[in-house]
Amino acid sequence: MSSATTPTDSAAGARSGGGRLLSRLGSPAVVSLAPMTLVLLLFFALPIGGMALIAFTVEGPSGAARAGLTHFADLTDHAEALGNSARVSLIGATVGAAIGAVTSFCISQIRSRRLDSVVAVLSSVLANDGGAPLAFSFIVTLGNAGLLFSLLHLDATGFSLYSWQGLVVMYQYFLIPTMVMVTLPTFAGLRRQWREANTALGGSSWTFWRRVGLPVAAPGLLGGWILLVGSAYATHASAAVLIGTGVYPLVPLTIASELRSGASTGGEATAMALGVTMVVIAVVVLFLFTRLQRRSARWLQ
Amino acid sequence: MAAVTPVPHDRPTLARRSGRATMWLPVLAVAIYIAVPLLCSIGYAVLPGWSFSLSAYSVLGDDASLLSAAGRTVTVAVLTVVALLLTLVPAVVAVHLWAPRLRPVLEILCTLPLVVPAIALAAGIVSLLRWGAQQGRGTLPNAISQFVQHPDLPLILVGTYVVLCLPFTFRSIDAGLRTIPLKAMVEGSASLGSSTWGTILRVVLPNIRGPVLFSIFFTTALCFGEFSVAATLSQDTVPVWLFTVSNTDFRASIAVAVLLNLTTWGLMLIGTLATQRFAPGRSGGTGGTGEETSADDAEDGPSPDGSSAEDRTRAHAPHSPTCEQADPEKVTR
Repeated sequence: MSSATTPTDSAAGARSGGGRLLSRLGSPAVVSLAPMTLVLLLFFALPIGGMALIAFTVEGPSGAARAGLTHFADLTDHAEALGNSARVSLIGATVGAAIGAVTSFCISQIRSRRLDSVVAVLSSVLANDGGAPLAFSFIVTLGNAGLLFSLLHLDATGFSLYSWQGLVVMYQYFLIPTMVMVTLPTFAGLRRQWREANTALGGSSWTFWRRVGLPVAAPGLLGGWILLVGSAYATHASAAVLIGTGVYPLVPLTIASELRSGASTGGEATAMALGVTMVVIAVVVLFLFTRLQRRSARWLQ
Repeated sequence: MAAVTPVPHDRPTLARRSGRATMWLPVLAVAIYIAVPLLCSIGYAVLPGWSFSLSAYSVLGDDASLLSAAGRTVTVAVLTVVALLLTLVPAVVAVHLWAPRLRPVLEILCTLPLVVPAIALAAGIVSLLRWGAQQGRGTLPNAISQFVQHPDLPLILVGTYVVLCLPFTFRSIDAGLRTIPLKAMVEGSASLGSSTWGTILRVVLPNIRGPVLFSIFFTTALCFGEFSVAATLSQDTVPVWLFTVSNTDFRASIAVAVLLNLTTWGLMLIGTLATQRFAPGRSGGTGGTGEETSADDAEDGPSPDGSSAEDRTRAHAPHSPTCEQADPEKVTR
């Protein structure tokens, strides 16, 4: 897939594209594409390239820099963060995908035009949530002194907002809307005729879902789940405000704390290596999601 | 079974009345889950000790650090919007007009930032700035590194936010340009004696005002709410201020967080609605007047006759194979 190429490759592509146009230097096309190329180069290609460079550079025995994977091997020190991130994103995505899928199924069955447009707008707004204010609102609601925490006697259940449970509950705030946004077209696209044909042939509602509905919706649902895993894995802001540093390490939080610890302690290289793994996971997620969406689109055309 | 009766969509068909009520339960549950934290925050901010008081908001006028953070955030937001429009609109117009072969390249480049988590991009930027700073006093990289990180005018945030907004805004503007007869407009305008840039300013821009408004509001919302990059680069914007002040004055931070949250939601809402409101019809010149025009969306596939909202969603969905998250307005059309 084209978007799976590394950023530096694609940036090079843009440059060679610009190169072809250089013969017509001063033409409106060059003038209007130059600022964009410059911005992408300075604020995207260079930082990501620099990150990869640091992550893959190790000091040889003679002190000379060479390419190597030492920084990635050292990530075993952060196994806890990697494990926590995997746990939170897998559990969070599974819960969010289940609730989101049921919700968007119900929305598609209600068939109210007003509800559809309200849901479409709200879900796209909420799917982009996940910033610092989100964490604050959950601290007030479910934190140790939270309004609902005492009301529901959550301390008796052993629930803590500042653990994986809290992160999973908080992430639902943007994971469920994302799932609804992604799967609503899938459920809305299940044709009435298929249902009618199923009934005409003597099938029950159960037969319809087992033989037609779920197989058609499955790629869309799986794609949504994968997108949620990636989205939960990459979330930093709300987790940083809620957890801070140390108590429950996650990959994005570790990147931030290792960066603060500075270049002298080797923390910077660790942060860059973790950053590279995040980019790789995000590329895989987007690739799989795109493939599954295409597959789902085949049926729903 | 009620499911078989083929009647218009907007009447309950698939489920009987009682079944329909059951269908509302999960929707209501999610709605409550969404509303409760917001209501709790508002309650906590304005009802200290169960009596109404806006005293928590006195921090807005009293706290000089908040004012400077707010000033910084607004400056960054304004500059980001200007920089984004000045770089993105000409680039997308250019590939549509003169270099259609470069359009896929630009699309991939503009979608790539979606793949890079903000914290990873921030890490890369930190590495670059530190490299610059290590080149020693008086060198050019050092001077640049200092200059772009200046707390009065953190240009590094402007550039990074432009990149973070690209995946969302590119799609919006690209889709907007696809629905208008761009080439004919530019040629017609040129034959009437207008310059290329005059044409873009006076003819093209008004025809894509929906996507442009969406870009403006989306970018502003992102700049107001962004935490990861600003915190990593130690730039004191409003979200970073919230985090800092929450240790000393929690109620004030909640009060400001509620304001910030409602502001960003409001901006996103206006942005999304603007795209619908100004969805261009085929006639070009006039903006769309409502839902009907979005069915005219020429490039996105044929709309079935008498298309309902559901049909339209279906007609559009297969044509947006890449990340739906990148394209909020597409889903809402």
